[in-house]
Amino acid sequence: MALKELNISPVGRVEGDLDVKVYMENGVVTRAHTQAAMFRGFEQILAGKDPQAGLIVTPRACGICGGSHLYCASSALDVAWQTTLPPNALLLRSIGQASETLQSIPRWFYAIFATDMANKKFANKPLYQEVVKRFAAYVGTSFQKGVTASGRPVEIYALFGGQWPHSSYMVPGGVMCAPTLKDITRAHAILNHFRNDWLETVWLGCSIERYMEIQSWDDMMEWLEENESHRNSDLGLFLRAGIEFGLDKFGQGVGKFLAWGTYLHKDMYNKPTIEGRNPATISPSGFFDGKKYYDADQKMVAEHIKHSWFTDQEDGLHPFDQPIPTPALGATNLEHSDFNGKYSWAKAPRFMGFSAETGPLARVIMAANPANKEHQFRDPLFGDIMAKMGPSVFTRVLARMHEATRIYQKIDEWLRQIDLDGEFYIKPTERDGIGWGATEAARGALAHWIEIKNGVIENYQIIAPTTFNVGPNDKDGQPGPIESALEGTEIEDPHDPVEVGMVARSFDSCLVCTVHAHDNKTGKELAKFKL
Amino acid sequence: MANVLWLQGGACSGNTMSFLNAEEPTVVELIVDFGINILWHPTVGLELGTQVSDLLNDCLSGKTQLDIFVFEGTVIEGPNGTGKMNYFADRPMKDWVKDLAEAAQFVVALGDCATWGGIPAVPPNPSESTGMQFHKRQKGGFLGADFISKGGLPVINIPGCPAHPDWVTQILVAISTGRIGDVVVDEFHRPKTFFTDFVQTGCTNARNFAEKVEGGFGKRGHGCLFYEVGCRGPMTRASCNRILWNRVSSKTRANHPCLGCTEPGFPHHDLKKGSVFKTMKYLGFLPQEAPAGESKLLYWFKAGVGKFSPTPSELREHSK
Amino acid sequence: MANLLWLKGGACSGNTMSFLNAEEPSVIELVMDFGIRILYHPSIGLEIGEQVKEVLNDALNGITPVDIFVFEGSVIQGPNGSGKMNLYAGRPMKDWVKEIAEVAQYVVAVGDCAAWGGIVAVPPNPTESTGIQFHRRQKGGFLGAGFNSRSGLPVINIPGCPAHPDWMTQVLVALATGRMKELLLDDFHRPRTFFTDFVQTGCTNARSFAEKVSGGFGKRGNGCLFYEVGCRGPMTRASCNRILWNRVSSKTRANHPCLGCTEPAFPHHDLKKGSIFKTMKYLGVLPKEAPEGESKLLYYFKTGVQKALTPSRKDGGSK
Repeated sequence: MALKELNISPVGRVEGDLDVKVYMENGVVTRAHTQAAMFRGFEQILAGKDPQAGLIVTPRACGICGGSHLYCASSALDVAWQTTLPPNALLLRSIGQASETLQSIPRWFYAIFATDMANKKFANKPLYQEVVKRFAAYVGTSFQKGVTASGRPVEIYALFGGQWPHSSYMVPGGVMCAPTLKDITRAHAILNHFRNDWLETVWLGCSIERYMEIQSWDDMMEWLEENESHRNSDLGLFLRAGIEFGLDKFGQGVGKFLAWGTYLHKDMYNKPTIEGRNPATISPSGFFDGKKYYDADQKMVAEHIKHSWFTDQEDGLHPFDQPIPTPALGATNLEHSDFNGKYSWAKAPRFMGFSAETGPLARVIMAANPANKEHQFRDPLFGDIMAKMGPSVFTRVLARMHEATRIYQKIDEWLRQIDLDGEFYIKPTERDGIGWGATEAARGALAHWIEIKNGVIENYQIIAPTTFNVGPNDKDGQPGPIESALEGTEIEDPHDPVEVGMVARSFDSCLVCTVHAHDNKTGKELAKFKL
Repeated sequence: MANVLWLQGGACSGNTMSFLNAEEPTVVELIVDFGINILWHPTVGLELGTQVSDLLNDCLSGKTQLDIFVFEGTVIEGPNGTGKMNYFADRPMKDWVKDLAEAAQFVVALGDCATWGGIPAVPPNPSESTGMQFHKRQKGGFLGADFISKGGLPVINIPGCPAHPDWVTQILVAISTGRIGDVVVDEFHRPKTFFTDFVQTGCTNARNFAEKVEGGFGKRGHGCLFYEVGCRGPMTRASCNRILWNRVSSKTRANHPCLGCTEPGFPHHDLKKGSVFKTMKYLGFLPQEAPAGESKLLYWFKAGVGKFSPTPSELREHSK
Repeated sequence: MANLLWLKGGACSGNTMSFLNAEEPSVIELVMDFGIRILYHPSIGLEIGEQVKEVLNDALNGITPVDIFVFEGSVIQGPNGSGKMNLYAGRPMKDWVKEIAEVAQYVVAVGDCAAWGGIVAVPPNPTESTGIQFHRRQKGGFLGAGFNSRSGLPVINIPGCPAHPDWMTQVLVALATGRMKELLLDDFHRPRTFFTDFVQTGCTNARSFAEKVSGGFGKRGNGCLFYEVGCRGPMTRASCNRILWNRVSSKTRANHPCLGCTEPAFPHHDLKKGSIFKTMKYLGVLPKEAPEGESKLLYYFKTGVQKALTPSRKDGGSK
């Protein structure tokens, strides 16, 4: 009896609703299908509305990445309306984006990911007791510190945007606020709270500057063994326990990576255009196919709907060429999915025809690109780690956490660059046109495409990082990144398939997961039963 | 790295207590993260006796670089201009103040006593107290109207009784992050970033000021305290309702009239009969003092016009 | 000890993110100090798959009493009333909502989507979304106007897009500590302790509202955002400027117009052309909507009178 069926519904701790169909053989996943199980129809709501409606509506597409949606929505309008952006506005938008991402790092690690390391699956491992003591939900010592500290960076967002989540302070032409000295000094102070309450004291066990000296995996290991403070930090524990628990052994994925990059340089994007965007990013954009780097040209994106619950459009269209999505309600039986036909509310986006992973791992790979310019991140670490270890749950988590120090330093630098005598907003002229705005949400590449006609929104298309990562098969049967990453995963206890959860959570997908398991030979969904 | 020396004259230590409440940043962060080196502080300093006078003398001789000199409390000049009512390390404190102010890059007066004399300087001013560079509303004070420290600024006044903790820590941060150029001071030498807004800016009762809905002690519902109980929020410059106190509140948010303690007239009317927690009324129902920026006549006229309006009932609503 | 079950429908998780920012009390204090036991939460729950179904079924069967049922996000009824646009644990989410609401002592709707449909219910409402007990301003919604939970209370609405974290945690503490009787609800089922004040209460620009000094984006000086860029602070009930956001600020304090997101009509005017960050003007210089509690005529009259009288008194603002 080699074949197993498994129904995990839902997995949880990822946002929204996602089902995954898993084919297993001898307890190992041989194939998987991801299924987004909820539709909200935001593009339909935006059609025909005020051009600026996206500033209010799209942050509410995702409460976790609301600032990132705002960054895209305002940029797309900047391009369409041909605005002029003062340097201060670009700095304050970057500070907002970066604060949201910095918030997400400890919040995601402790509240979403690390509680799984305290799962009984790992009870026989030597480090298990220590992991439970620190990472167990609510009671873990580090869980409390990390979740509490995660609220700090968004206080900086609130100083400039009023509140987090769900501000709309980035508007075409700049930002709404005109901060004062007291806002800047408060922001510096709050940043230091974050460093003292968590980043250096709990996570690193050393200074930010010491950590940033690490250039390779060997450096990382040397750092780990340098002293007890490093070994016993949460990062030290994660490095030791992550390897001991075998997190580097599963969740590989498609091995191709896409980043739009973000943080538009204050002096390089004052006249926003589609073409001028990528060179102006500080966190660099790019597509890496496992060997070579390519430009992340937005023209290379296409979306497939063969396996998506949408109709009235062709496969493989660029967002500007796609209609507002029409849900396919007629023939499809939504609760008994046909995995050979349509089975997800997510479309399947492809870049240059490939399924690509987005997220922190993609970003740190782009940061290792030797061709990066002086104003961009240049960090060889993950070039080395990818060559030595390849992608896995472990490398993905490490990449996420690695970003904290660099983002911290950048926010500090940008705060210093704000010119309090300069402009913050230049009122634009409203006009019809097309625009594109993109960024890196904490969990990956996000972009908005807008078309304005007769003074209202004619078309609005969003491709979220999770759409890339959890999208279904495309028309050629090419699986999405999480679908691919689940393959080969060994599931020890089908009643508690924590491994599947860990793979999905390592992508930090914004969808609640459900896993259906299926008979590998017939492909039929078996009757549900508890194992 | 900036060396800070803090001394207290005719002080109650209220500003020090307030300083220890600081949050953005905290006192510890000021030292650990922003490179502020506190050479000595009367409440938290470690040195005593001759160690202190050695330290002060090192500052005067230039052996120790003195970047910021913070003074809390009045400069006591009594009796008869000798300053002997406040001796410190074998000299009248006023003499130390004069010498250290000359040696320091920046001089910061913290609290009303140090800025303009405050409560000790209320007549009959028994200790002959004055502020560092103001005496009440009058420029001059102890150091004289023309005093400029080595850094090119006059005494930076951070008034308040006490000053809000973050006002002082943030000025120290501004200096340490190279933003001293952004510290712009007003006619009373107050950093404008904190003292442009009025206390009314962000007051929960501000709309009732406009609507002429008055409030009183022990009542909910955001009635304005200007009309009856002497609130000075409309004419007092301070960010009390923007950067809250102790993280959560402010006087007017807790239904406490603003005392106007960041203005050089504090305590206003020299505490005379009828001036405490009562709006002084010289002209029937109209308060004697008009809010800053309005001519009295215009304000009264508008107040009269506003009186015709029925009070919106929602403004009186309250809930526990 | 109070058992809490939290589910999400047509949600963006913004209320959950906001909830995690809570400070007085924090989420950890809620669990460790106030005896709230979170049976399940989709973002921070530990259970997975079948385990979640067991939790839900135990709740329905009375094996585990549900003291507080929190719902975030709209109730999705599409397509065609089937609810299949939002399947959860093998069933339309709306079916879980109906059944759990029946067994819970208290039902709490957090955020606009759960309270009255919110953004997802804007026409054409592609998902047939509605709130738990309101559809926009109309009482009824998914459970119907007559619904009362076992405690005898209707659905408690904590609106906002998102709701302020302390509104949520403080209501949960009130429920868990038996202070329900003191939690008075208004016409829209909002706890009055948070929704009696207006957003303008404590706004740094309130005096400029009275003085008719207009503000705009990118400017200092506490100009009022009501006159030009569509601020809804004077007619929106919420304590945003009393209990600040993220400890330090609020939209209007950061020069961001209030969007009116704690009122059931949000997003107002259904996002139609000219309604975003612009005060809709139907009468020359006068904003179309008068502040809550004033008759339009009176408001216009006062506006007109003051316009003529007000000297240009801007304090300029400073860095």
